[in-house]
Amino acid sequence: MKRIFIPLMVITIVFSSCEKIVFKPDQASSDPLTNFDYLWEELDKKYSYFELKNLDWNKARDYYRSRLNANSTEEELFDVLAAMIDTLRDDHSNLFSPFNVSSYNIAIRKPANFNWRTLNEYYMPNMWSTGVFSHDFLDSGRVGYIRYGSFMSEFTEEQMDFLLKRYKDTKGIIFDVRENGGGSVFNVPKILKRFTQTEVTAGYFITRNGPAHSDFSERENFIVTPYDGIKYLNKVVVLCDRGSYSATTLFSLATKAFPNMVLMGDTTGGGGGLPNGGQLPNGWTYRFSVSQLLDLNGKNFAEDGVPPDIQVSFNGNDLTRDEILERAIAEIK
Amino acid sequence: MILSKINTCKSGLMLMLLFVGFNQTKAGNEVAASDSVKPAVRYWQSSIGLSNPSYRDFATSPLFYRGVGFNISTGWLKRSAKKERLFDMLLSVAPMSATIPASNYLKRAVTSTFAQMSLRYVQLYEIKSLSQHKNKYKAGFALHATQNFRMNRFLQNNAAGVENVSNVMLTGQVMRDVSRSSEKKVNLLFFKPTLKPVKRDLRFQLNVGVLNFNYRPGYAFAYEGYLTSNTSPLLWILNNYSWSLNGWRTQGELELFTYLEGGNARSWTYVWSAMHIPGKFENFQMAMHQIKYTVFFQRTKKKS
Repeated sequence: MKRIFIPLMVITIVFSSCEKIVFKPDQASSDPLTNFDYLWEELDKKYSYFELKNLDWNKARDYYRSRLNANSTEEELFDVLAAMIDTLRDDHSNLFSPFNVSSYNIAIRKPANFNWRTLNEYYMPNMWSTGVFSHDFLDSGRVGYIRYGSFMSEFTEEQMDFLLKRYKDTKGIIFDVRENGGGSVFNVPKILKRFTQTEVTAGYFITRNGPAHSDFSERENFIVTPYDGIKYLNKVVVLCDRGSYSATTLFSLATKAFPNMVLMGDTTGGGGGLPNGGQLPNGWTYRFSVSQLLDLNGKNFAEDGVPPDIQVSFNGNDLTRDEILERAIAEIK
Repeated sequence: MILSKINTCKSGLMLMLLFVGFNQTKAGNEVAASDSVKPAVRYWQSSIGLSNPSYRDFATSPLFYRGVGFNISTGWLKRSAKKERLFDMLLSVAPMSATIPASNYLKRAVTSTFAQMSLRYVQLYEIKSLSQHKNKYKAGFALHATQNFRMNRFLQNNAAGVENVSNVMLTGQVMRDVSRSSEKKVNLLFFKPTLKPVKRDLRFQLNVGVLNFNYRPGYAFAYEGYLTSNTSPLLWILNNYSWSLNGWRTQGELELFTYLEGGNARSWTYVWSAMHIPGKFENFQMAMHQIKYTVFFQRTKKKS
C-alpha cells in the first residue's frame, strides 16, 4: 500500500501548494486606507456621471483620504466613504456595511407631491386592486386612474388586459408613478408597449468602457415595440415627482417620445444610470452607476431628473385636494 | 519572485511524475497492467463526490470565495492498451462564503451560490517507446468546456456571474499496475484482516490548456444594452460578454482503479484543477479540489 499512498500524498501536497503559488494571496483587509483607495479607484474607473456633475475626483480623494488613518474606526471609515459617495449626488450610489447603509436620499431634498390618503379618502374610496395596480374611474367615468407604486412589482399581461378593457371607453387614463422608486427596467417597456401602435425609439444607453471618465460604449437603443393585443391609444397623463426614481425616470423620459402621453407633476428624482455592484477588501459592498440614460437628442439630463411637460405642485396645506390629480383630469377633459 | 515560485511548482510536478513513473526495473516480476486492460473495454460510468471550489472575480471583489459542496458526473469510457477515449459530464454545486476581516461592530456573512457544469472529451494514445510491462504511458488531447453559474445577491446588479471557460488541452497519462497478486495478512493489533488478491491500476493524468477560451463580462460588468419590449433578461445580462483567448488552465487527477468480478470496476479519484482567466478586462481565478467515487459498468459491444 505504501506504493500507492506515497505518490498520492506527494501529488496532493504538490497540487495544494501550486494553488497557493499561482494565485496571489487573498486581499482581505480591514485597513481603512486600503479600503478607501479600493473604492476610490473603482469609482474612478467605472462611475458614469463625473462630467455631467462636474466632479473633480482627484480633489475628492485628497479631501476625504486625509480624514482617515490606519487607526480609524469602522464607523469613521463608513462616514468618510459615505460622504465621498454622496458627492456624486446619486441614489444609485450606496455603501452597505453590516451596521449602516449610505444614501443620498434625493426624494427628501424636495417637497413630496403625493399623499395616498388624500387619493383614497377624497377621490377614490373604493379603489380596485388588481395585482400590483390600484385603479378606479374618475370624473363620472370619463377618466381612468391607475396607480403603479413600484417597478419592482411584477404583473401579468392578463392583468394589463383587464385594466385596459375596464377603461377602454374613457377619454384618458391617469397613470400615477409618483414616489415610485424604480425597479426592473423590463417592466418599463412592458407598460409602454400598451400605449402605442407603432415602434417607438424612446432613448439611448451608454456604458463606461474605459479608464477615462469620458470612455463610453456605442449607443444602445431603447425601443418600445407595440403589444400584439389590447392597447390604449387615447391620452395618458403620467404623474411623477422627485420620488420617481431610476426605472421610473426611464419611464418618464420615454413618455416624451409618445405623442399621446403627457408628463405632469414635478421633475423626477433622476437615477438614469444602471448601478453595478462590488465588494471592498473588508467585505462591505457598494454600488454605483456605470451607464448613462440619453434622450432622443443624446442629452444625459435624466440623471438629474426628467422635467414634466406640465409642472404642477401638490399643496400639502390642504390634504383634501390633490392638485396634480385635478390638473390631470382637466388635461384629459 | 513569481517566476521562481512557478519554477518551484514545476519542479514539484516533475518530482511527482517521477514518483508515479517509478521503478520500472522492478516491474518484471509482478502482475502486468496489460492483463487488466484488455483491448477496447467499454464502460458506462457514474460518480459522486465532494468538491472544494474557491474563486475570485476581480471585476466585483478582491476576496476569495470558498466552499464545500458535492459533485455528480456521468459518462462513458473506452479503454484499450493502445487507445483511450473518455466523455463525461460533471455538475458541481457548493455554497460559498468570503473570509472577511473581523468587525468590531456587527459580523456579517457574505455568501454566494456556486454551480459548475463541465463537459469533457479526452482521447489518448499509447506511447510505445515509454510503456513497459507495468507502466503504460499515453498522450493525447482533451476538449473541456466549463460553465460557471455564480449568484451573490450582495453584488446588486452584478449578482450573476456566468463565465464560460473552454479549452483545448494537451493530456498526458501514466497508469501503473498496483495489483495485489497474492493474499496478504495485515497486522493492525486487534484486527488482522487478510487482503485478497485484487487487480487495480493507479492512474495519473495531467491536462494543460493550450488554447484557452473564456467568455467574460465587459469593462463595467453590468451593462445597459439594447432594450425592447421583448428583451430577455438573461440575454440582456449577457449583452456585453465577449470571448477572449488568454489565460491558462490545468487539471490533474489521480485515480485508484479497481477491477471487479464480472467486468465492472470502481475507483476513487482526486482531481485538482486551476484556471486563471484574464478575459478582456479583469481577472477571474478559480481552483477546485474534488474527491470522487466512481462505479464503472462494463458495456458489451452490440453485434452487428
